[in-house]
Amino acid sequence: MRSNNYVIMFVLVMTTIVALVLSGMSTGLKDIHEKNAAVFNKRSILSSISDHISQDLNSMSDDDVLELFDTKIEQIAIDAKGNAVTGVKAEKIKLSDEFKKPEAERVAPLFIYTDDKGEKYNIFSVRGKGLWDAIWGCVAVNADLNTVAGVAFDHLAETPGLGAEIKDNPGFGKQFIGKKLFEGSKYTSVAVVKGGVKDPAHQVDAISGATITSIGVSDMMIKGMSFYKPYFEKHKK
Amino acid sequence: MIELLNIFIKSAFIENMALAYFLGMCSYLAVSKSVKTAFGLGLAVIFVLGITIPINWLINEYLLKETGMFGIDLTFLRFILFIAVIASMVQLVEMVVEKASPSLYNSLGIFLPLITVNCAILGGSLFMISKEYNFAQSFAFGIGSGFGWFLAIIAIAAIREKIRYSDVPAPLRGLGIAFLITGLMGMAFMGLMGIDPASITGH
Amino acid sequence: MVKEKTEIFGKKERALISDPLDGNNPITVQVLGICSALAVTTLLAKAVVMAVAVTLVVALSNFFTSLLRNAIPSQVRMIVQLIIIAFLVTVVELGLKAVNYPIYKELSVFIGLIITNCIVMGRLEAFAMANTPWKSFLDGIGNGLGYGLILVIIAFFRELLGKGTLFNYKIIGKTSEFLIDTTNSTLFGWYEPNNLMVLFPSAMFVIGIIVWVHRSWNKDLVDVS
Repeated sequence: MRSNNYVIMFVLVMTTIVALVLSGMSTGLKDIHEKNAAVFNKRSILSSISDHISQDLNSMSDDDVLELFDTKIEQIAIDAKGNAVTGVKAEKIKLSDEFKKPEAERVAPLFIYTDDKGEKYNIFSVRGKGLWDAIWGCVAVNADLNTVAGVAFDHLAETPGLGAEIKDNPGFGKQFIGKKLFEGSKYTSVAVVKGGVKDPAHQVDAISGATITSIGVSDMMIKGMSFYKPYFEKHKK
Repeated sequence: MIELLNIFIKSAFIENMALAYFLGMCSYLAVSKSVKTAFGLGLAVIFVLGITIPINWLINEYLLKETGMFGIDLTFLRFILFIAVIASMVQLVEMVVEKASPSLYNSLGIFLPLITVNCAILGGSLFMISKEYNFAQSFAFGIGSGFGWFLAIIAIAAIREKIRYSDVPAPLRGLGIAFLITGLMGMAFMGLMGIDPASITGH
Repeated sequence: MVKEKTEIFGKKERALISDPLDGNNPITVQVLGICSALAVTTLLAKAVVMAVAVTLVVALSNFFTSLLRNAIPSQVRMIVQLIIIAFLVTVVELGLKAVNYPIYKELSVFIGLIITNCIVMGRLEAFAMANTPWKSFLDGIGNGLGYGLILVIIAFFRELLGKGTLFNYKIIGKTSEFLIDTTNSTLFGWYEPNNLMVLFPSAMFVIGIIVWVHRSWNKDLVDVS
């Protein structure tokens, strides 16, 4: 048995050393961490319109991704009434935090990408619940604010091979391309359904064996996208 | 209130720590040879989870976050502080059990301090953060997941007591069969997967 | 007094590495570190990263604990060990976050759970507190590898049978993208990926079967009680 003083000194010295080393490491790597996180997010936003980017997104270097994002994308933050909010940068918005606020106070990001031909694509962000935990995604819509140009989904902890197919299986996302958000002037969005598509303009096939995750995606497409409805109504031609 | 009940039911049955996430398996397999010790360990786990998750919530919210007391992002200290809280709470439980029930203390033996390294405890705290619960919710989550783990270890211990009278192939005896049974129990619990208690209680 | 030979890489030292691979395997014999063995084995790539991370943490924490073993006051032994482990795990987490962000995202809370991986704590108590730093380091490498070996075996079966892929490289499945296309194959026409394999219970079955095979082959390990 050692004396109490020794114990206290030992623990104090040790925790100080540990805390110093860790804080040094954490501040030293902070820039790299932030850059990695930004590249990760921007890659997933861009992957919703990967068909309209001249390069292959997967083989692009991190710096190219950042540059493409900065040069080709215009960012707008949008409130619940469909107006642009000044002073908020869209890429800094965290939907998980926004969802804790009442709906009227929420702000959601909109990214407008202009491709080499001058064609504009609007990329909206949505978030919802899968089987295990959160799922989220980006929905790209053509300039007509009606036709879906592409989607990209991601998840925190869905089962690989089942729920995780929303991200891993490109075939699932491809189904959304060309679907319509509106039927005439009525907002219908795109539903994910089991057992065969009956309305080809507004429905896609669910993932077999991943019912709950598919319902989650459907909810994001319908309820999640409806946040942007005021914006659609204002800007739709 | 109903919301808290939903979280309790969800963490105890649907997202059971032991049988859906398979956390806390080391002590689950090692201490499940008799129902009596399993019962004691299960209670201790409920207690430790119920205490540490809210405490860790406070630490995370008021010390570590950028919006907390120090105004700087200290999340890199998260693991160290969480495990320190857990270790001291376990020490507390150890002292209480030693005073209150020396026979239970002796039968739990080495496994009481091992609650500290029970993944279910630290896992609970880390899940609490990734699920972004508030204080009351994290308390319900802690008690719920502790209760779920308690149920799971009692169930496997009862099955293992019975299986001693069965003719299990020699190489499977003990550990091997325990793994297979746990797998089957996990499949049974999978039947509950994806049920949203909110849709039953109507909230 | 017989002077103990201090070889750098003698027979004893080699045994420290090879024992945990078979007769003293942390998962199938010592029953340590099961939790993470189950959660991260859905994909081979995750299992490999986890195996490397655990090996690093066990080896280094064994090493540091052994260095400090005569200075650590016995009253706070557990806490000191935990601080060492938590420190190393944080280092691994910060490192992984900088090196490969997508994998870091995928492993999420399971990196943190290395702290409570009983292998680490178990080896500190059983070995590092009583042995020299170099031996402890080797013991850590051995146990990390023994753990990683089982992890990789489980992940191999789960990913191949559940998704038909290995390291996300398509091996067997129903479209022409796969190496073995089962749609028109006479040999593999019966094959259908089994979704159960990617769910948690299957990990239990695979470990159970590994234990079975291991113990039929190494009869000394059979549980007699």
